[in-house]
Amino acid sequence: MNSLGIALSLAGRNLLLMRRIPSVVVPSLVFPIFVVIAFSGAYSALTRLPGFPVDKMIDWILPMAVVQSSAFGGVNVGLSLVRDLQGGFFDRLLLAPVSRASLVAGPILGAVVRAFVPLAVVLATGLAAGARPRGGPAGLLMLLVAAEGVAVIAAGWGVGLALRLRDQRAAPLMQVGIFLTVFLSTAQVPLAVMSGWLRTVATLNPMTSILALGRQGFIGPVSWAQTWPGLVALAGGIAVLGTFAVRGLAVAEQ
Amino acid sequence: MSAGGVVSLSRRSISNTLRQPQMWVPSMAFPLIFTALNTGAMGRATRLPGFPAESFLDFAVATAVVQGVLFGATAGGSDMAVDIQDGFFDRLVSSPVSRPTIVLARLAGAAVLGAVQSLVFMAILTAFGAQVRGGAPAVLTIVAVAMLLAMAIGGLSVAIALKTGSSEVVQAAFPVFFISLFTSSAFFPRELMSGWFKTVASVNPLSFMIESVRALIIGGFHVGDAMRALAIVAALAGVSLLLSLRALRSRLAAG
Repeated sequence: MNSLGIALSLAGRNLLLMRRIPSVVVPSLVFPIFVVIAFSGAYSALTRLPGFPVDKMIDWILPMAVVQSSAFGGVNVGLSLVRDLQGGFFDRLLLAPVSRASLVAGPILGAVVRAFVPLAVVLATGLAAGARPRGGPAGLLMLLVAAEGVAVIAAGWGVGLALRLRDQRAAPLMQVGIFLTVFLSTAQVPLAVMSGWLRTVATLNPMTSILALGRQGFIGPVSWAQTWPGLVALAGGIAVLGTFAVRGLAVAEQ
Repeated sequence: MSAGGVVSLSRRSISNTLRQPQMWVPSMAFPLIFTALNTGAMGRATRLPGFPAESFLDFAVATAVVQGVLFGATAGGSDMAVDIQDGFFDRLVSSPVSRPTIVLARLAGAAVLGAVQSLVFMAILTAFGAQVRGGAPAVLTIVAVAMLLAMAIGGLSVAIALKTGSSEVVQAAFPVFFISLFTSSAFFPRELMSGWFKTVASVNPLSFMIESVRALIIGGFHVGDAMRALAIVAALAGVSLLLSLRALRSRLAAG
């Protein structure tokens, strides 16, 4: 079997696990849906602050929740890999005459496919609850790009940590890493509304540009100015965390 | 029921919790992280007409205390489930320890941890500029509220542990507590909410308890606020104690 075939088989195995162990998938769906409902309800008055670009909080929160659910979906690939490492399945793969890149590409490809599920479910819930994509299909496409890109980045983070730590200690690190990256950005409010240290951190956090990319269609028409920084941040994140995952293989082989 | 038995078993419960950092570190760290994030993100919300505090950090102190206690108090239930799973509970039942002591000791342990948590949160947030305007009487009231709340949540998780004997089920109940907190006025004032969310927050007992505690922090000490906060958590703790004792009786009757 060639590298692509192996990567596809591993991705397929990952998707099979998603169906067989729903307890792994359900939290990555339930938490973002809860965030959409709770944040939109509790913080609705924040849109009255000067500099807030939408008049309904759900339009601000929904794209963040979609990206967050894709991120948690991506991290779940790392959790599945921990199971494979502990069960000895991955060690058998390492002994087999297969391309090393495909062992990392497979789970990450699995993350790309499984990200469609939370994307569809969380987005549908938000639209049913009153969110309005002003940017039309182009805006939804930008959200899809942001969510899928973040799924790849999160999968790289999850796979890299799983290969280095090889046990359940990796799980809280994976989740806290994602949680902090998302919430230290414009997850809750725009930069114009933030104050103090959080504004500085959020300005430097590439997640702010990724959220701007995915969120623009819920604020107004899609523009290149809101698109390119997000694409650059996604490309950088994929390069850095993809390398982190691939180098994890060398650690696992030791 | 002997006081000595309650003391030794609650000491065991506390040292069990302290020996497992994964049981208490998140309940200390996450409320502080949430407070830091929310204060940075929503600091300007204090400019909205109707916002009850001048500083968002002051507004967030009560939330941090309640959130920490809510997260931490489930540890007692998890420990009880572990005791059931590894047979310690059966050995305890066959010893001359009175039955209610088994539950009361857990709740006493949870109350002590709740008191420590509330003091640590208030100390840290005060160091970052928060002000408890009600002074020492407010601090004492908040510690008492935290202890009773820890007993209420601890009692519910102990009841679940006794009913199911599974620490996973106790842990699975955690999101319910989390959702109860989020659908209250813990994170934003009810005056500035609207629609169905405001309705839900207005019938959530946690809203009234948190608002009374918050009033002691941002408005000064008033006996009415203190009594209201204490009465709500005392009622919750009472119900929870009854449920856990009933669950204990059912488990013992089932053999």
